[in-house]
Amino acid sequence: MAFFYVSSFLGLQTLGKYHLFWPAPRFQQLFAIIFRLHNREHVKSFITTSQSAVPVDPNTTHMLSTKTRSERRDGEKREGMARGDTSSPHPFSLFSAGAAKRRSKNQEEPFMISKRNGIQPPEKPLSVEEWEELREEFKAVSKFEYVMLEQMIKYNSSIDVAKSLLSMVATRKGDISYNLLVKYLALCIKQEQLAEVFDVFDIIKLRFKTLEPGAYSLLIKGLSGSDRWREALLLLEEIKKVMTPSKANYGDCIKGALNNQEINLAYELYHEMLAKELIPNLDTLQAFFDTGKCVKDDQLKSELLGILLYLRENQIYPGETLMQSIKLWFESIPGEKWKGYITTITNSGKCPVCNQHLETIHLNEEEYNILKAKIIKDVIQGTDVFRKTTPQELEEFRNFVENHPPYDIVIDGLNVAKVSNRRSESQTLLDVVSHLAQKNLRLLVLGRKHMLTGSPNWKRPIVAATQKKADFFFAENVSEDDPFLLYATLHSGNHCKFLTRDLLRDHKACLPDSLTRHLFFKWQRGHQMVLSHYWPGKRIKFQPLPTYDTVVQTTGDTWHIPYDEQLVERYSYEVPTKWLCLQRK
Amino acid sequence: MITVWTHHLKMMFFNMLLRNIVRHSVFPVAMQKGTKKDLFLTTPQKPFPCRTLILSPTPKKQFSSNPTEKLDLDGWKNVMKSGMQEEVSETSESEKDSTLAATRELVEMWRLAGVFVPENISEEELKTLMECSTKSSKKKYLKFLACKEKLKKASKAKQEKRREAKMERLEKAKENGTSEMKNTFLLKFWSRSFDKVYNWRTAQAMIFGQPLVFDMAYENYMSRREMENTVNQLMETEGWNRRAVDPFHLHYCNLKVDSPYHKEFVKRYGEAWDNLLVTVTEQSHTDVFPRDKLIYLTADSPNVMKTFEHDKIYIVGSMVDRSIQTGLSLAHAKRLKLTTQRLPLERYLQWEMGAKNLTIDQMIRILLTLKDTGDWMEALKFVPKRKYKAFSDESVYSKYKTNTQSRTKIFEFNGSQERVKNPFASSRNSLQRQKKLVGN
Repeated sequence: MAFFYVSSFLGLQTLGKYHLFWPAPRFQQLFAIIFRLHNREHVKSFITTSQSAVPVDPNTTHMLSTKTRSERRDGEKREGMARGDTSSPHPFSLFSAGAAKRRSKNQEEPFMISKRNGIQPPEKPLSVEEWEELREEFKAVSKFEYVMLEQMIKYNSSIDVAKSLLSMVATRKGDISYNLLVKYLALCIKQEQLAEVFDVFDIIKLRFKTLEPGAYSLLIKGLSGSDRWREALLLLEEIKKVMTPSKANYGDCIKGALNNQEINLAYELYHEMLAKELIPNLDTLQAFFDTGKCVKDDQLKSELLGILLYLRENQIYPGETLMQSIKLWFESIPGEKWKGYITTITNSGKCPVCNQHLETIHLNEEEYNILKAKIIKDVIQGTDVFRKTTPQELEEFRNFVENHPPYDIVIDGLNVAKVSNRRSESQTLLDVVSHLAQKNLRLLVLGRKHMLTGSPNWKRPIVAATQKKADFFFAENVSEDDPFLLYATLHSGNHCKFLTRDLLRDHKACLPDSLTRHLFFKWQRGHQMVLSHYWPGKRIKFQPLPTYDTVVQTTGDTWHIPYDEQLVERYSYEVPTKWLCLQRK
Repeated sequence: MITVWTHHLKMMFFNMLLRNIVRHSVFPVAMQKGTKKDLFLTTPQKPFPCRTLILSPTPKKQFSSNPTEKLDLDGWKNVMKSGMQEEVSETSESEKDSTLAATRELVEMWRLAGVFVPENISEEELKTLMECSTKSSKKKYLKFLACKEKLKKASKAKQEKRREAKMERLEKAKENGTSEMKNTFLLKFWSRSFDKVYNWRTAQAMIFGQPLVFDMAYENYMSRREMENTVNQLMETEGWNRRAVDPFHLHYCNLKVDSPYHKEFVKRYGEAWDNLLVTVTEQSHTDVFPRDKLIYLTADSPNVMKTFEHDKIYIVGSMVDRSIQTGLSLAHAKRLKLTTQRLPLERYLQWEMGAKNLTIDQMIRILLTLKDTGDWMEALKFVPKRKYKAFSDESVYSKYKTNTQSRTKIFEFNGSQERVKNPFASSRNSLQRQKKLVGN
């Protein structure tokens, strides 16, 4: 009984704190647990399912909502509702940074217990004999030395302790294995013991003709911060013999070159890694801007602007520290008097600092046509038309769309219908459709044929009433409706929006190249309407659509750079909400 | 009494004094040694330009017989430096391709670094390794090879052990009971005779038995390894079928001659491939059998199998998809306008986790049991244990079914009869019905 009180209290508290739309099924689930407890059955299994739910996927919440429907009928007391989050400029947009994290806030990480945690490295260097004693104590641990050294890395022990361990190994075996040396090297690098790194490097070089990438990476990292940074470049060449070096390898070399004012070399490496389709780490880019602050050079300036354009083209968003470096660099350019401000952009797309309108999110004619062609080819047809639909059905749908005037809004009927937990699905859909129909919009609703069979959820009269207000297309029960949604929206023209809360990531993944994927995401942000408030019978509200594109942009005299805040975890299908506005006085 | 006591105290005092003196005299020596060693070690960056090293014997002695007062922390470096260079690649000349040699060296170094790699690696495998584009894919491939090697070794060791045990047993029998044979009234039933019976049964099934089709049309959807796994599973399938009381007549349809699939079969079976009691054809199952008799079994089907029908021909898509490809076999069935069915897993099992697709050998064991007994409970025992919690009670199920009519999944088998019978024929009347509704 105690658990009942605690959980109900928690549930209500969470309701009070986050008036979000998404987690509503989770509250239901809490209620469900309570009711289950009354019945005293399956308590355990229920809790496990709630823990193993994947946080980000709306389909999962969707699934949960169907799972607990039977309990909800009698147990439901509150309606899921949404309210804007005040810290965000657009009240809770599906695509703004951190939205997914907020949705999944209730999820807790499982606690991990490791067997090896029992071993703690000694605090002071031990003698050979003392080490042997310790070894005897941990007889059960195979590879005692490795485990111990790993623990030292974890606890960041003094390298003297590690040295004493190595002495023991050397006494016992007369040799130290490569693996142990590399681990010791990792410890030295972690503590930036350059002299030790050099020593180990010399030993390894002496003993082994070639190394493996793990050791190379460590050495590159260690050497690039020292006077012997040029040797790191040689090691980079060694890696290239067997595989493509990682972006961290390049990053370390670039930092080494920049520290020693070899700017041209750094840029050579930078372009080399771009040519290998490696996306540089943000701290590598930051090193460029930090160097640029001290060095005044026209060529360097154009290269740095090139980096900003690279960010734009690849839709990369700098983090907070990189943003600060960019800001400082701009402000340090002599004779140009740049000034940077941190801001958020209003929904109209106007920057409150410089009153300038940002780039529109709408695609131009050419981009739109590319996207349309690709969607039809790769998403709807794909490798096999039969997997999502049938040729007959596709043809039928094409004719249907051709023979009707362009629509203003295309609605994913089954998705919208499942938004509310209390209302029956058909009633929810009718509410939404009539709300939109009042605005004199031409609507198309996509559904599946089972909606016509007159099941309790889809009562015939309500479906018929909905059909008077909007056009309907019913796909086969075994077909997917999302591709039809995309096709109808794209076919109706650039003004047409679509209504669903699906993130459409599986369809985005069907697109072959990153350029089209970016186009798709841009189009999706500008055209996807998401229901944000739904109070049955009272209020229906949609999330405002952004009018501007979130991407690094310039007009020559201004730069607008969206960046990631340090504490906000942004998922890949979200965009940042904070901006750096730079303007020239 | 008192005098003795004081004498004792005196002795103790003396002892302590003596010990202190000794310690003081030893300490400076140790310190000296320490500084000497330090001097030796501050310079090492320069004195090793050449690879051959003339080592003074001091450091080695030093660390082995070092007193514990001051720890020698850097002695191991000298030990390491005195060692010879590791001979990594013994075949650097024989391998003309320098990148191949480099890859081999990489594998050796990974072994030293504790990565799980195989002990022997063939040239062909090395080439495959080189083609792996990323570090993690290389490591994964090596792990795969290493696992394979380990398994092979283990089974060989087991075989060896068994053979030795047998030899021992024979020897013992020779010693004990001289050469007298075991006396029994039963006739020895040779495994050869077993095989004969099995083959007769299968041959009979090939004439009179119920056909079961494996659709081999998924070759292009699988990677090399998946295809090999499929062949593996099919071999097992054939074995289960052969040993069954009432075997199926197996058909491998859509198997193109000289396709990689076919080649893999020939490679794995060897000569036995030609004697296999299975009908192999390049034709599609729709060409071989009447369409209305065919039922495609696929996990994505909306229709649930109710009973096993002995006059129907079931088709199983022979495919291994490690990354689950939803709707692939359903698409094939849709294209050919075949009836589809899925096993009633939800009905009889309380599903826990995992996808509802099954391996081919599990599938044949389920079907064979169904055919013999008609008992779903018995048949579905071949679904892997980890995937379900328990068998569900029949009475509970009927309640559950009525309770959750609104569930998205259920409607598909509650749907109108007409559609269940003819699920994919996008029939005229449904179109008309739709038009009528749109007209409303």
